[in-house]
Amino acid sequence: MNVLIVEDERSLSHEMEIYLTRQNYNCDVAFNGKSAAEKIHLNNYDFVLLDLGLPDMDGLDLLREARKKGSEATFIILTARGEVEDKITGLDLGADDYIPKPFSLAELQSRMQAILRRKHGLKTNIMSIQDFEIDIQNRTVICKGNSINLTKKEFDLLHYLALHKNRVLTRMQLTEHIWGDVLEDDYESNYIDVHVKNLRKKLSAQAPIEWFETVRGVGYRVNA
Amino acid sequence: MAIKNLFTGKPMTLQAKFTIYNTVSKALIILVFVAILPVIVEKIAYDHIDRRLTARGEKVLRIIQRGGIDDIVLEQDCSFESYSILKEEFVAIYPILKPSTKKPNIEIKNESWSIEGERLEHRIFRRQFTYDNQLYELNIGEGISNIEELKSTIQRFSLWIMLGIISISIFLDLGFVRLLLKPLNKIISSKLKPVPSPASFDFTSIPSSTFEFHKLDQRINEMMHKLKDAFQIEKEFITNVSHELQTPISIVQNRIENIIVEGNAPDDVVIRLTDSQRTLNRMSRIIKALLLMSKIENDQYIKTDVVKINELLEEVLEEVDDRLNQKNIRLYKNFYDDVELKPCNKALLFTLFSNLLNNAIKYNKQNGSITITTHQVNNKFTIEIRDTGIGIDQGEQVAIFDRFKRLNKNEAEGYGLGLPIVKTIAAFHNIDIDVTSDPEVGSVFTLSIN
Repeated sequence: MNVLIVEDERSLSHEMEIYLTRQNYNCDVAFNGKSAAEKIHLNNYDFVLLDLGLPDMDGLDLLREARKKGSEATFIILTARGEVEDKITGLDLGADDYIPKPFSLAELQSRMQAILRRKHGLKTNIMSIQDFEIDIQNRTVICKGNSINLTKKEFDLLHYLALHKNRVLTRMQLTEHIWGDVLEDDYESNYIDVHVKNLRKKLSAQAPIEWFETVRGVGYRVNA
Repeated sequence: MAIKNLFTGKPMTLQAKFTIYNTVSKALIILVFVAILPVIVEKIAYDHIDRRLTARGEKVLRIIQRGGIDDIVLEQDCSFESYSILKEEFVAIYPILKPSTKKPNIEIKNESWSIEGERLEHRIFRRQFTYDNQLYELNIGEGISNIEELKSTIQRFSLWIMLGIISISIFLDLGFVRLLLKPLNKIISSKLKPVPSPASFDFTSIPSSTFEFHKLDQRINEMMHKLKDAFQIEKEFITNVSHELQTPISIVQNRIENIIVEGNAPDDVVIRLTDSQRTLNRMSRIIKALLLMSKIENDQYIKTDVVKINELLEEVLEEVDDRLNQKNIRLYKNFYDDVELKPCNKALLFTLFSNLLNNAIKYNKQNGSITITTHQVNNKFTIEIRDTGIGIDQGEQVAIFDRFKRLNKNEAEGYGLGLPIVKTIAAFHNIDIDVTSDPEVGSVFTLSIN
């Protein structure tokens, strides 16, 4: 997968590049709109991660221009501007997703995966962790032929952990994914623990789940 | 006291007031004129008659002086009477024995005069004179029955003519007022209509040759320009603040994430990094919350959605369902009525109810309950969210909607922006919000939609 990171903040593009490269994406970086436009024109990217506040042009204009020239890349808008119209305009112009900064890199990756699944209909709609099968399409978990009744949040939690298997996900990352952009007056990581507790209870009733690990003081990890 | 429309009680338009004023004032003028017209006509008519009679009297006296009274007094009793054929005019001279002390020498008055057995109203000129030591009384009369006729004819005619003239004048006035007020009406319809934000204000100037309207239009435009600029400056400020604060947070956040993922850091460092991540996240959320409120107050959110309150509540409840279960909180839904809110911003309303319900859960007791009641009373739709939580002290109830007031001092974290956000969103949708609470019993948040 080829990814172009369009971001003038070098430290930020650097971190994104490190993370995505680890996840086996081929990353290219552009620090301004002009070089981004050239790169999009010359290369075939699967993803363009687009910051809106570029030094030489508005990211939305870049998107408009790229679409006009026939680019079929998946555009994800990453912005800290927080303007209400940006999201609407961006999606109207054909961006596939809009993620306000700051976001966690795990969340970015899961959004990219979701778009791939939606756009290209990934063949593997079922993720397996030992005896458990997570059916992403139908949002069910099956163990030895038995369907396990999970709540929406419990399913999201398991799916997210499985998607980032073998990596610890902090409570904050999990909260961000489960609760999204809902602005609460505070976030209680305790809720995640309760969800995990309930989820484990339901899963362990079917089969052993030693793969579902608690990383003390940090969060949770699915080892597979 | 302001004149208001009798039927609707609403203030009237300037044009309607002008019309009423014009009609009433002109009608009054007609009435007064038509009422005093007969008096004037009568006065003029009598004036004419009196002058005529006086002249005739003088003439008779001159004839007597010149030719002697014998020329005209032919009768035995030394009197003389002469009538015109229709008995409208007459001259009569009678000798009298002694002068009347009461009567003046010359008098003119109306009298009923009997001529050949027929009594007719006459204007009489009466004068006494002496000739050959004999005292005579001269009476010259003129019929006045035609004056009454004249009076009513003139009154009738003038009434019709006046009505005609006034109708034309009202018609012309209306046209003129309409023309005159056209720029004002245009200013009202295009400049004073509600706009979602100053940016969508129509700055096209409205041409008018009337100084006041020209000035009014100019000033409104200037004011709106200032307002638009102020909004724009604030909007840019919000965007910049957002960018300048969230970008560094983003960098550190992602760097920490990478360090954790790389797995080279010792466990205790990872734990501390995770804590730092939480702290950063808290900061980011505070910024987001503050910016959200600023953006709402800056009118950056559009209201184009149509939302049924009960449906929205169900959606929010689905989202908090897990939390309810975790605390084993029973939920009572008394959805008696529903209302369609339009136009509104669904995402913001979702946040509003989500914050209220999350609070109701967060501050509730284990195994407590939440009761949501929606009902319509008269023209008011109310949504009541009642919890069995720790409640709010009387003294703190006024402050709960203020920014950065943390109620539960024992909470390690939390920055108390949930309710200020609720209030801001409510105000944006013209929803009133009220709270009543008993410590250790629970709180009731009531939203009223007018």
